[in-house]
Amino acid sequence: MLLTALDGDETAVFKAAVASVQIQVEPVGRWFEAYIKRRNRTASASFQELEEEQQSSEESRTRSFNQDHYCVLGLPHLRYKATQKQIKTAHKGIVLKHHPDKRKAAGEQIGEGDNDYFTCITKAIEILSDPVKRRAFDSVDPTFDNTVPSKNEGKENFTEVYAPVFERNARWTSKKHVPKLGTMESTFEEVDNFYSFWYNFDSWREFSYLDEEEKDKAECRDERRWIEKQNRGSRAVRKKEEMNRMRNLVDSAYSLDPRIKKFKDEEKARKEAEKKAKVEAKKREQEEKERARQAEIDAARLAKEKEEEEARQVAQLAKKEKEIQKKAIKKERQKLRTSCKTWNYFTEEESDSVKMMEEVEKLCDRLELTSLQSLNEILALGSREDSKVAVVKQVQEVNAQLQREKEAEVQQRQPTRSDHASAGGGGGSGGRASTRKTSRCSSRPSTCFLLGPTPVIADYMNLHSTSGTKRTAKDVIIKAKSLQRLDPKQKDDTNRKAFEKFNKEHSVEQKLLEQALKKFPVSTPERWEKIAETELVEMVKAKKAAQDVAGKTKNDKNHKE
Amino acid sequence: MAAIGVHFGYTCACVAIFKDGRADVVANDAGDRVTPAVVGYRETEQIVGIAAKQGRVRNAANTVVKVKQVLGRSFDDPETQTHKTENKCQLVNRQDKPHYEITAGDRPVYVVPHDVAKLILHKMKETAQSALGSDVNEAVITVPFEFAHAQKRALREAAEAAGFHVLRLIHEPAAALLAYNIGQDCSAGKSHVLVYKLGGTSLSVTVLEVNGGMFRVLDTLTDHSIGGEKITEVLAQHLAAEFKRTFKHDLSNNTRAMMKLMIGADMAKHNLSSLSTANCFVDSLHDGIDFECNISRARFELLCASLFNKSIQPIKALMEKVGLSNSDINQVVLCGGSARIPRLQQMIRDMFPDVEMLNSAPPDEVIAVGAALEAGLLVGKEGLAPEEETVTVDVSATDILVKEVDDSGAEVFTVLLPSGTPLPARRQHVLTGGGELSSIVLRNLQPKEDKHDIDTVVTMKRDGSVHVSCVEQSSGRPEVVTIAAAS
Repeated sequence: MLLTALDGDETAVFKAAVASVQIQVEPVGRWFEAYIKRRNRTASASFQELEEEQQSSEESRTRSFNQDHYCVLGLPHLRYKATQKQIKTAHKGIVLKHHPDKRKAAGEQIGEGDNDYFTCITKAIEILSDPVKRRAFDSVDPTFDNTVPSKNEGKENFTEVYAPVFERNARWTSKKHVPKLGTMESTFEEVDNFYSFWYNFDSWREFSYLDEEEKDKAECRDERRWIEKQNRGSRAVRKKEEMNRMRNLVDSAYSLDPRIKKFKDEEKARKEAEKKAKVEAKKREQEEKERARQAEIDAARLAKEKEEEEARQVAQLAKKEKEIQKKAIKKERQKLRTSCKTWNYFTEEESDSVKMMEEVEKLCDRLELTSLQSLNEILALGSREDSKVAVVKQVQEVNAQLQREKEAEVQQRQPTRSDHASAGGGGGSGGRASTRKTSRCSSRPSTCFLLGPTPVIADYMNLHSTSGTKRTAKDVIIKAKSLQRLDPKQKDDTNRKAFEKFNKEHSVEQKLLEQALKKFPVSTPERWEKIAETELVEMVKAKKAAQDVAGKTKNDKNHKE
Repeated sequence: MAAIGVHFGYTCACVAIFKDGRADVVANDAGDRVTPAVVGYRETEQIVGIAAKQGRVRNAANTVVKVKQVLGRSFDDPETQTHKTENKCQLVNRQDKPHYEITAGDRPVYVVPHDVAKLILHKMKETAQSALGSDVNEAVITVPFEFAHAQKRALREAAEAAGFHVLRLIHEPAAALLAYNIGQDCSAGKSHVLVYKLGGTSLSVTVLEVNGGMFRVLDTLTDHSIGGEKITEVLAQHLAAEFKRTFKHDLSNNTRAMMKLMIGADMAKHNLSSLSTANCFVDSLHDGIDFECNISRARFELLCASLFNKSIQPIKALMEKVGLSNSDINQVVLCGGSARIPRLQQMIRDMFPDVEMLNSAPPDEVIAVGAALEAGLLVGKEGLAPEEETVTVDVSATDILVKEVDDSGAEVFTVLLPSGTPLPARRQHVLTGGGELSSIVLRNLQPKEDKHDIDTVVTMKRDGSVHVSCVEQSSGRPEVVTIAAAS
């Protein structure tokens, strides 16, 4: 910032400038070349140089004077709106009036050469008639107001402040049909259109008129290039400033525009409402869904309950019926028993009656309601003999049935057990390795039937048989033979069945043994002796006794025969 | 239009071509961008470049190195005498001119340094022309600042004999500045640049003032006792000591072994600029023993510490001589192959901590690039006047200042035209002021809210008189004053 002059100050020279000095420079570089060239051209005295310098400074003054070409041609009211035709006519009129020849004729003083003011007119028409140069001049039109209203100004009455500014700046557009700022009642489309136009503003404004260096003045190609580069730089800077200015203007207008605010609020409200509606709809939908689900569940439950109820009723009915049947059976059984009792079991002997009692019990167990009824009827109606025949028949039937069942069972189990049978086959008659082995061997009559003594087997069978029929050794042999004749499969079946049975009853012994084993751990001395002392011994002993009895009976038989 | 720039140094020569607005260094037929300035004479032929340098081991007496030292000098010149003692090639006096005595053939042949230089320059021309693919002869050749007129003339004659059309001889520091485009973009402004050149055999430090796009050498210092070869020698001595320690053989009397070791050390030195350790190996160094040694960069720096210090010293001396402080320097330019050494760069950087150091281009090529740029400027122009290497111009003796006030109201001076600006000069400024101007008074300006923009043109003529014209931009009020120069 320069100093402010005082009142009495005048332009004055206080002191002579220091004289130049001479130095030696390196003869390299662009500027050195330019310097040498200039010096060679203006080889002689400083007078010529002075002339040149003065001229250039004068020139710069006229340039910086910024002659208003429109004013010169008398078109200040039209300015950039003036058409080429208007400019031409104006120029013609002025030339007619001010041409040096004309004025000379009128006896006026004419400046020498370029010093006359007529050059200004020439310059003006030169610039205004050339569209490119005119655009350059228009771009820096000194009458144009570059200001952008500050935000505070536009706060109160937005349209009044900004409308003229936008109208003013609209002249730089390279597009036609500039949208107006509009009023407060403008529609959204109008406002949107306005701002999109101004945000995408395409300006033709350029600043080549302000170039500091003149390209035409360059002395050589290098210098010209350099000047061009220099000018390009400054132009770009100015153009950028201008863009910033426009951007600023539009930005501030946009931020202040009450209509934008209004639209934004409306939009916001609309969005809010939409959102709300959406949320509500969703809620409703959810509720609906919930309700539907509940109904479904209820229906399902009801159906289930109903089903259950039905099932229960059915079950109850069935139970009742069963009970009735049970009662009937019970009653029939009782009847059978009493009738049998009344008939004294069809025998006179005590032992036979006991046996018959057993048979009757078996009948009671096995017979169906209907057969029981028919049997009772027979018993009730028929004589003693008839009754006996009927009962015996029934007993036989039942026994046969039992036998069949047994066989069927054996047949089913046979394949899995066959190897057991063969393994145990070599056990021999009463091996003495251990008590357990002995018992197993003896309880397997069909495998041992040829090896062991048959009376023993028969005895054993009698002991264990559930059928109640007594078997002699002969029976056993016959049976064994028949079994032998049967296919091996059946044999195996029988074996397995026997084994199962053995296992069943043997499990008691097994358990006892295990208990004993547990009782006396491995560490206990004389373990086996102790184990033997337990109940197990009793059992084994009993078995041995049975064997002995069998042996005796056999001997008896042998004696008899 | 293409042109050639040649840097012809003591130890090495480098050539760059200017083409399509660019200056590039070109590689020679061996693929190297720098050619050793060595000429080896054989019975039937002369070899230039790396082959001659390597052949020197066997042909030392007939290999000419550092011919630039005797170029254009008389035999009695002390420089010639030192060259004679240091060189293995016999130098004899014939008609008061030094001649190399070449004994390769049957009879001794006497060769003048001019011919040797011619051979080297011819090689450079061939290199450039093979790269360009056309017959271009226009060249700018660099010379050291301390070259006397006779030496320059001898060099020019040698170049012309080699087939060059010499556009101009320019000084090496100026070429270095050109290569970095210093002061070429904008003529305004003044700055100081230090050029540090550490070549193969000599060190030169120069301070230049750049003003108005022109270079002025303020002062320069040259030291012929420091250079890349000295560094290599120190390294070779160390290697010889290592060899002696390991194999118990003294190499100092075995010249050929020492030369071999020098070549190995040279390679190791180059590697150490980029690597932290380098391996030096010489087959059959002495008595058929293969020598191998590993040198770390730290060891190398330790060995050469005194040499480095010595090569930095001239900077201080020069700064004192010129009367500038280290902070007055705006830029430092490094050139010469040895300026690649990282330690040396670090030392210079420590000396000028805030100064921009220009070492982006390979330092041994910078000068050739600058020469090529200058050749590009000159080629195709007529009337290339300056035969002499420096040109006298008128410059302003003092700064032209404008007095202003800053925001706080204190008076400040702004330099419009710095002292030393070539004359005539014209500057256009836009000054801003509140109401009226003082000293040069613009009257009757309407006081305005805004600042007045005042276009000011300051013109200074060759005699030193100043012409100032001011115009207020908006109103167009002018004021003009001319200040005559004191006679």
